[in-house]
Amino acid sequence: MSSPSKRREMDLMKLMMSDYKVEMINDGMQEFYVVFHGPKESLYQAGVWRIRVELPDAYPYKSPSIGFVNRIFHPNVDEMSGSVCLDVINQTWSPMFDLINIFEAFLPQLLLYPNPSDPLNGEAAALMMRDRPAYEQRVKEYCERYAKPEDAGAPPEENSSDEEPTEDEYDSSDEDAVPGNPDP
Amino acid sequence: MVMRCLGALSRALLHMFPRKRPAGGEVEEGVPREAVVPKKLKVECSKSEVAADGNHRPPHGMACDSNGRNGADIDEDLHSRQLAVYGRETMRRLFASSVLISGLNGLGAEIAKNLALAGVKSITLHDEGIVGLWDLSSNFFFYEEDIGKNRAVACIKKLRELNNAVMISTLTGELTKEHLSDFQAVVFTDISLDKAMEFDDYCHSQHPPISFIKSEVRGLFGSVFCDFGPEFTVVDVDGEEPHTGIVASISNGNPALVFGVDDERLEFQDGDLVVFSEVQGMTELNDGKPRKIKNARAQSLILEEDTSHFGAYEKGGIVTQVKQPKVLQFKPLRDALSDPGEFLLSDFSKFDRPPLLHLAFQALDKFKHELGCFPVAGSEEDVQRLMAFAISINESLGAGKLEEINQKLLRHFANGSRAVLNPMAAIFGGIVGQEVVKACTGKFHPLFQFFYFDSVESLPVEPLEPDDVKPLNCRYDAQISVFGSKLQKKLEEAKVFLVGSGALGCEFLKNLALMGVSCSQKGKLTITDDDVIEKSNLSRQFLFHDWNIGQPKSTIAASVASSINPSLHIEALQNRACPETENIFDDALWESLNIVINALDNVTARLYIDGRCLYFQKPLLESGTLGAKCNTQMVIPHLTENYGASRDPPEKQAPMCTVHSFPHNIDHCLTWARSEFEGLLEKTPNEVNTFLSNPSEYTSALKNAGDAQARDLLERVLECLDKEWCENFKDCITWARLKFEDYFVNRVKQLTFTFPEDSATSTGAPFWSAPKRFPHPLQFSTSDPGHLNFVIGASVLRAQTFGISIPDWIRCPLELADAINKVSVPDFQSKKGVKIVTDEKATSLSAASIDDAVVISELITKLEGCARKLPAGFRMNPIQFEKDDDTNYHMDLITGLANMRARNYGIGEVDKLNAKIKAGRIIPAIATSTAMATGVVCLELYKVLDGGHKLEDYRNTFANLALPLLSMAEPVAPKLNKHQDMSWTIWDRWIIKGDLTLRELLQWLKNKGINAYSISYGSSLLYNSMLPRHRDRMDKKVVDVARDVARAEVPPYRRHLDIVAACENDEGADVDIPLISIYFR
Repeated sequence: MSSPSKRREMDLMKLMMSDYKVEMINDGMQEFYVVFHGPKESLYQAGVWRIRVELPDAYPYKSPSIGFVNRIFHPNVDEMSGSVCLDVINQTWSPMFDLINIFEAFLPQLLLYPNPSDPLNGEAAALMMRDRPAYEQRVKEYCERYAKPEDAGAPPEENSSDEEPTEDEYDSSDEDAVPGNPDP
Repeated sequence: MVMRCLGALSRALLHMFPRKRPAGGEVEEGVPREAVVPKKLKVECSKSEVAADGNHRPPHGMACDSNGRNGADIDEDLHSRQLAVYGRETMRRLFASSVLISGLNGLGAEIAKNLALAGVKSITLHDEGIVGLWDLSSNFFFYEEDIGKNRAVACIKKLRELNNAVMISTLTGELTKEHLSDFQAVVFTDISLDKAMEFDDYCHSQHPPISFIKSEVRGLFGSVFCDFGPEFTVVDVDGEEPHTGIVASISNGNPALVFGVDDERLEFQDGDLVVFSEVQGMTELNDGKPRKIKNARAQSLILEEDTSHFGAYEKGGIVTQVKQPKVLQFKPLRDALSDPGEFLLSDFSKFDRPPLLHLAFQALDKFKHELGCFPVAGSEEDVQRLMAFAISINESLGAGKLEEINQKLLRHFANGSRAVLNPMAAIFGGIVGQEVVKACTGKFHPLFQFFYFDSVESLPVEPLEPDDVKPLNCRYDAQISVFGSKLQKKLEEAKVFLVGSGALGCEFLKNLALMGVSCSQKGKLTITDDDVIEKSNLSRQFLFHDWNIGQPKSTIAASVASSINPSLHIEALQNRACPETENIFDDALWESLNIVINALDNVTARLYIDGRCLYFQKPLLESGTLGAKCNTQMVIPHLTENYGASRDPPEKQAPMCTVHSFPHNIDHCLTWARSEFEGLLEKTPNEVNTFLSNPSEYTSALKNAGDAQARDLLERVLECLDKEWCENFKDCITWARLKFEDYFVNRVKQLTFTFPEDSATSTGAPFWSAPKRFPHPLQFSTSDPGHLNFVIGASVLRAQTFGISIPDWIRCPLELADAINKVSVPDFQSKKGVKIVTDEKATSLSAASIDDAVVISELITKLEGCARKLPAGFRMNPIQFEKDDDTNYHMDLITGLANMRARNYGIGEVDKLNAKIKAGRIIPAIATSTAMATGVVCLELYKVLDGGHKLEDYRNTFANLALPLLSMAEPVAPKLNKHQDMSWTIWDRWIIKGDLTLRELLQWLKNKGINAYSISYGSSLLYNSMLPRHRDRMDKKVVDVARDVARAEVPPYRRHLDIVAACENDEGADVDIPLISIYFR
């Protein structure tokens, strides 16, 4: 493992190299957004989410904080706050994990195999346990309603980070952006 | 009549039923009247003890035990950090204990300080000698004007000021066995072996025995011997909480096999005794009988019990370890001397030392006995005499005889033997202080029985000449006799930065003042701390007194340290050392320093200082404590790794969903309570104020966001200003009462509606299976004190946020109950139930409920309407959680929230003190381990300031006084990186001179065979090869890009900026290159 000071840069680089769209706010490396597509063969496969990633000062020793920005109907994701209850991100995090693990493995697994026994969204969990068809319908409705590519801030067709114009759009429209000139 | 500890203890126990502390001098029922004698009397009482010949017996009996602490009352504000270590029972026993300390050299002073802070009942100081120049090296109670006074008498005033609840008296005549009978524990720091054996024989044979401790520090060598009697019971052998586990299944068999739930590890050990509770089905196990276990694994254990005929296990069950007392059979000194048993080892590289030191200390005793003095430093003749004594004692040992006596070590021992060095006194003061606490309370495992320690590595690298160790007739003569005057001069001229003036900081300041560090005009000690003194500090931070409460820590500590040694050249600052204060702690300060000492209480600050030390290449001496544990780490430029190079795993936190809806222990309830407290009283009022101070900016920002979080925030703000608006105190009561209903009734009903008790998961397993606990709603009643306290706490704090004054009638139970009962509480309706009625919502989502943007617009319209009706300039008063003020209702509300939730889930409740320790994240802390840590660090300070020591001379330490364990080891060298023919560590930096562009920088690296793919400045990205827009920056100067992106100027006094480059070599492997400094002007 490389020195911790470079882990943010390496992790970001790996994400971008794997064609994830990373949306930075004024080139800060502590907080950014990543566009995440629902895994294939899952109920969520048509959905696109904007995931807020916050790297704490102690990253990678301390786990990153991960949240869904646009809504998702899922037993382990809080509907209002977007917080995720997932042991590998919260309890069993190890500095050996990196961001690519989260987007390639942890989140897809979570969407493929929700765990209604430890729910954060009780309604979703109860529906999943009791009325599977209604649950599946609700998940899909949420995807159509809230998780279209434009809801995630992504243009309709898939894009890598090479899209210069969209990048600047985020810079200027984002609520967290510091007022002032975007990057030169 | 001789009153012994058991008598006093059992009497104290009679009055130990729970009660509140007396407020305002009230005498409570059930407390003997004598025990609450007004304070005034106490002062007179103690004055009379020192008067006359100063040879009074320690006070005992109720007549003089006037401090109002007959064991039942603990000043929790003063002792909260210590209570978190010891618990109430141990503290009560401590409060009933009388201790004798004989020999008031530096070691005696440290022991006395630690015990006074801990709060024993009485301390009697014995010394027949007078204060001399050599005492000023280690006894911080002595000022120069005390020279010539009796040592015990010279300590008494300042010792008393440390804790006026402890009775201090003195004995200045010859000590006889009969004197000892008044004490639970006696400590000797300067006693001949013959006398020690005589006294110990007496103590050992008493009923009950008196605990006897003999300890010595001689130069860089120290020893402890403990004899707590023929049968001493240790109540708690390690100070750890009993382990618990959640049961998943128990077999019917002999023996029985028990499984724990999947997601939690069991931490039992073979041979542990456990009890069961809440087991359903196999209810026979709930009988509270301790049972033995074996084959303890992470998920299972075997219970030594025939459960074949017990009921079949159904569900539930908690298994809890029962801590077993341990009985130790101590040998008297006379027997132990020739048969010392196993020595406690502190350093594996010195495994052969303890037997040698056992011999050396006996030889020194013989030397003193025969010659009537200590060996003279630098006298070869005395070394040879001591050697001869050692050889003759060794010859008499027979089977236990040593093969070889290390002459070099014995020479060091002889040379320094007269000196009591402050760091050694601090270490042994901590160890012995803790042993006394063990002797008086049975808490923690005693030292069994001998301990020897040395730190010869602290000696200067260059051998000392006899001339160099000659006394100079100054206060440092003792230290000079060990280290020489050359090192003394280096100490005095050192420029030191001490970061923090809390518990560690106070101890360090005392040590540095006694050692003479920064005690010349050429030297300078800079200390900083942004905190002020609070009452809870006083049980450890011994430079502070109750009249200092509210004053800045660093200033007070500096002024007290200056009175210990008036030559101390110190500057006290009140700034937190952090990135924002780099204009105060500027490059010039950092560059001037010889050494940095951390005395911090949090990892973030430690990492920051570590980074600065790394940057400026300064040695950093790091230490920390946790209860009886402490650790020290030396960070020496180019020799060792830095502090941040290795880290502890982050603290385990409870999963969010558990805290949210499925708590299964009181910690989960307390975490939830803290977070609700913050949300209700701090975050929401802050949010309201943000809205009120600029409504249009606030609403348009949330409109732009347009998501669920924005909607949630708006709903909360609106609720506060509209539906739940509080005009008067009755409104606050209504709010509090409805909150109770919401938290402890409706939410529980909703949850059990969503997940009924019999619900099953997709696999058919019961949803409510362990560790989840099925909750039950509460039924509010004003006759339930828990319910009432919750409503009082919540309404008082709610009133504060609205600036409403608190009426007196809340103290009248009847009126209060009446007001609460008047609140109309609507019946609960489940949310799902509502949806089932309006059926289309249940299956498909209505546009109104899902379109956040629409809802947000509606909310904003309502909110704007509300704001117009508010009184002009209205703002809420957000409340920040403050655990240490007993009158502010904060802990009352948190305890109420946590306990009511615990009741919902059938979890055991918590008292306010434990709630405070857990919810307030109080770090357990005691004076002993703190003092010890600073002593260990100061032994390293000699090495650093001498210069030229190798890695193998340095030591990092981990200690746990509860076990006891002291473990020292060489620090780890920094990681060496290699690329082509270059190599470097984290201590290296690459320097580029010139104002270059990004392209030139990349080329400079390319020339070394390194490809940078990402370059950053602080947390701002200057360049990333994947981002096309960064290509435009290639021909800009690096400093300009940094300024534009990070929006920060390099300060005018700085000629360079530092950047981090993430790089690969030509093969695509990562190369971890050093920090790059670009000198652009």
